[in-house]
Amino acid sequence: MADPLIEIRDLARHYVVGGEIVRALDGVSFAIGRGEWVAIVGQSGSGKSTLMNLVGCLDTPTSGSYRLAGADVQGLPDDALADLRNREIGFVFQTFQLLPRASAVANVELPLVYRGIPRRERRARAESALGAVGLANRMHHRPNELSGGQRQRVAIARALVGEPSLLLADEPTGNLDSTTGEEIIGLFEDLHRRGHTILLVTHEPRLAARCPRAIRLSDGRVVGDGPGADVAALGTGRTARA
Amino acid sequence: MKALRRRFVRATAEIAEGARIAVSALVGARLRSFLTTLGIVIGVMTVIAIVAIIQGLDRSFQAQMANLGAHTLYANKWKWFTGSDGWWEMRNRKNFGIAELRAVEEESTLATAVAPMAGQRALVSRLDREIENVQVIGTSPRYLDTNGGTVAQGRFLSDPDVELSRNTAVIGADVAQRLFEGMRPEEAIGRKVLVRGVPFTVVGTMARRGRMLGMDLDVNVLVPYTTLLRDLGSRRSMTIAVATEPGKMEALEDELTGILRRVRRVPPEKKDDFALNRQDQVLRLYGQLTGALYGVAVGVGLITLVVGGIGIMNIMLVSVTERTREIGVRRALGARRRTILLQFLVESSVVAALGGAVGTFLGLGVAQIVAAVTPLAAAVTPSAVALGLGFSAGVGLLFGSWPAWRAARLDPVEALRYE
Repeated sequence: MADPLIEIRDLARHYVVGGEIVRALDGVSFAIGRGEWVAIVGQSGSGKSTLMNLVGCLDTPTSGSYRLAGADVQGLPDDALADLRNREIGFVFQTFQLLPRASAVANVELPLVYRGIPRRERRARAESALGAVGLANRMHHRPNELSGGQRQRVAIARALVGEPSLLLADEPTGNLDSTTGEEIIGLFEDLHRRGHTILLVTHEPRLAARCPRAIRLSDGRVVGDGPGADVAALGTGRTARA
Repeated sequence: MKALRRRFVRATAEIAEGARIAVSALVGARLRSFLTTLGIVIGVMTVIAIVAIIQGLDRSFQAQMANLGAHTLYANKWKWFTGSDGWWEMRNRKNFGIAELRAVEEESTLATAVAPMAGQRALVSRLDREIENVQVIGTSPRYLDTNGGTVAQGRFLSDPDVELSRNTAVIGADVAQRLFEGMRPEEAIGRKVLVRGVPFTVVGTMARRGRMLGMDLDVNVLVPYTTLLRDLGSRRSMTIAVATEPGKMEALEDELTGILRRVRRVPPEKKDDFALNRQDQVLRLYGQLTGALYGVAVGVGLITLVVGGIGIMNIMLVSVTERTREIGVRRALGARRRTILLQFLVESSVVAALGGAVGTFLGLGVAQIVAAVTPLAAAVTPSAVALGLGFSAGVGLLFGSWPAWRAARLDPVEALRYE
């Protein structure tokens, strides 16, 4: 890959819990190019949430290097990390994480508020992002007036509105029934076709199998990296692409 | 330039956002918000009520001071506002009377006007109407120059009234209103009133003067002092009011001291057996009184505001805990620490300022009620309102800063995972 969006080398994150060192992530390396759709798959405790937090610039590694869009992330001050998240990353969470007291459009506007976009432009962009996920007629509903699938669509609109270079989705279908989950995955496929870079964290091999590429984690290490279907089918302990 | 504009847009959007959240939180939890801000409401209410009353007093007092002869000395055997010290000694002094008045009238070169004031309280009546405890003052035409006041109807006392000891009277606004109720103001002139049973002809009425320190200045009757001494008798010591030009008060004091010592035959080695009282003694007393009131108001206000502030801090800590995940989301979407800090500071100061607004409103209401049922006055000034709002917002800012700091220090990963 000539110019990867994400370049991770020997990334480690250790926690000290009750005097013992827990190696949540223990020397992970991979690169993701622009326009790729990659699943991070693994059992719970495999380190995928830790990896997601690091990739999402929410946490800083114990050691190793992480470059996002050509810039070194480690060692950046807190404000710079906040700005980086705002510009480069769109988060989609399992539990949607919408602000309960704000309307759909106000939720979607939020990243633009933190970027200092004037009100009118903010509103226009938020409305068009909601339109793009098929919620043009639900702009002023509050989250509790929306179905689970609609809430996740609002969250995706919020992730996309700032035109980030990376869409980071953490178990986006985990709280949805299978039909609605299928719709959301359809939406991701659509976004991938339109050139978005997507990193999808999941524990479901079935979901990983539908991604062009998947990386399998186990005990804080990469144990598989290759076409989604291959990696999803993989047991632990073997690598598909050495 | 563009970066600056972005910063501005971002800051204003964040403040608006914080205010919006604060208001929706208030509406969402009415009872809790009410209890939270109760301390602030009571604190601000107390301070505003007291400040409004003091400012009201100030205003009516200043209006009075403008009326009263500010450049007047009041000579008598009594010293004003001494409390109980020396009371017995002063009581036993020789009374002021005609001799002192004549001496001052004839010998003072600095005096611009000299008027006697011989007073007593008496029942004043007309037909079946009676007013008890009216201040009856025996004086001369110079009274208007020494004590101020203007005639509303008819005329003031004249020199012939005094020389001939006529039974003429000029009555205060309240006396006129109550004795001649239902008549046109000018119809009082020429009619008779009884002062302690002695008939007097009303020749004039005074314009309303209002109240000073709770004393009503409109319940009085002015008669020639010669008539008062002859018909009503007076064993009280007379006051001699002496007016001078601005800036000559000290010189006048020296001159009067000389005249009075001589006429009262005070031996050189003895102290004065009289006092020269001044209006600014009233001012000083008034300053002490309102200063004490201000002190109490500030003390009570500060205590309740601290209690209110603790209430705000408590609710903000709850609010931060309740919204931990929201803070995590905001951080993930690009909010900096100081953005979160600002949001919660805005929220706490808006909550407190709303409490302050309610408190200001109630405080002004209390002041109006107090003014209506007591002799005190009340004034609503923009500065009092600004003080109430500003102070409460400040309390919100101060006591909201620790919860806001805690919110800003939250780790985004932990916050997002918080259940």
